[in-house]
Amino acid sequence: MIPIHWFLELAAVLFVVGSLGVILRRNALIMLMGIELQLNAANLTLVAFSRAYHDAHAQAFAFIVIAVAAAEAAVGLAILVGIFRNRRSVNVDELTIMKH
Amino acid sequence: MLWQSVQPMGRVTAQLATGDQGMQWSGPQIWWWIIAVFTVGGAISTVTRRNNIAAVMSLVATFFGLAAMYAMLSAHFLAALQVLVYAGAIMTLFVFVIMVLNRDEAEPWAWSGIFTKIVGVFALVYLVTKVGYHLFGVAAAHPETPPAEFGTVAQVGEVLFTDYLFVFEAVSVLLLIAVVAAVVVARQRGGGGTDDDDASADITTTPAVGHSTGHEDHHS
Repeated sequence: MIPIHWFLELAAVLFVVGSLGVILRRNALIMLMGIELQLNAANLTLVAFSRAYHDAHAQAFAFIVIAVAAAEAAVGLAILVGIFRNRRSVNVDELTIMKH
Repeated sequence: MLWQSVQPMGRVTAQLATGDQGMQWSGPQIWWWIIAVFTVGGAISTVTRRNNIAAVMSLVATFFGLAAMYAMLSAHFLAALQVLVYAGAIMTLFVFVIMVLNRDEAEPWAWSGIFTKIVGVFALVYLVTKVGYHLFGVAAAHPETPPAEFGTVAQVGEVLFTDYLFVFEAVSVLLLIAVVAAVVVARQRGGGGTDDDDASADITTTPAVGHSTGHEDHHS
């Protein structure tokens, strides 16, 4: 019998790791992977509460989150390819064209 | 058992309510720890790698660990979906883009914007400490084993196609728009022969090794 809060704490740890990747890294690809980690942490929380309450609605919601994450990854990576074609870089510190 | 008697009474009862029996771990709990260490290790490896391919492979390992977690929570349909969609489709997309970009990071971390980063990290740590403290008090409303059809394709599909039918259709439209948008954003401009400068410049300058740094300086 595994306590349900173990899964919730694991999801919190995964969310922290993904957020640190988004905040501290400068490679836009790694930042996208950090966002994927955050989405998966949220999904783990949904599934854990689904199991805790024997309710399948949260699992349907996690399914929708997976689909939205796929759309987000497709558009985000396409934007990265477009940026790389123009600027030859995916370093977010060099993408300052909208500041000037 | 000695360390339990030292603690306040409410703490002991809380542990009994959640099913802990002192230091004796059951088999599923040991498996949980193995998979949790695997998952968190993959996540930390993802955000610390300098090589992008290594980061993607660590992320795939994390997703497999999460699929195992879903299976431990009786969500078998989502476990299969996690492996198929995340570790299969989305990570393949990442690998394709990394092959197109084909550039490792010179320095993964910099002092620029350090104040914003420090504020962000402290806000994150504060938030998660607050939330995580309250997470320890969460107990399952139904800790008993769920019925056999829980988490199967039939049950999740029934919820998805009755209560969430509109959301399901909206997500399908969203995916269609995302695919069209990705093609429009990432396509070569000009559609072949009639472009002005950048697409043909890509083709001619990419094989020249060592030319890329000069090209970068030229642009900046």
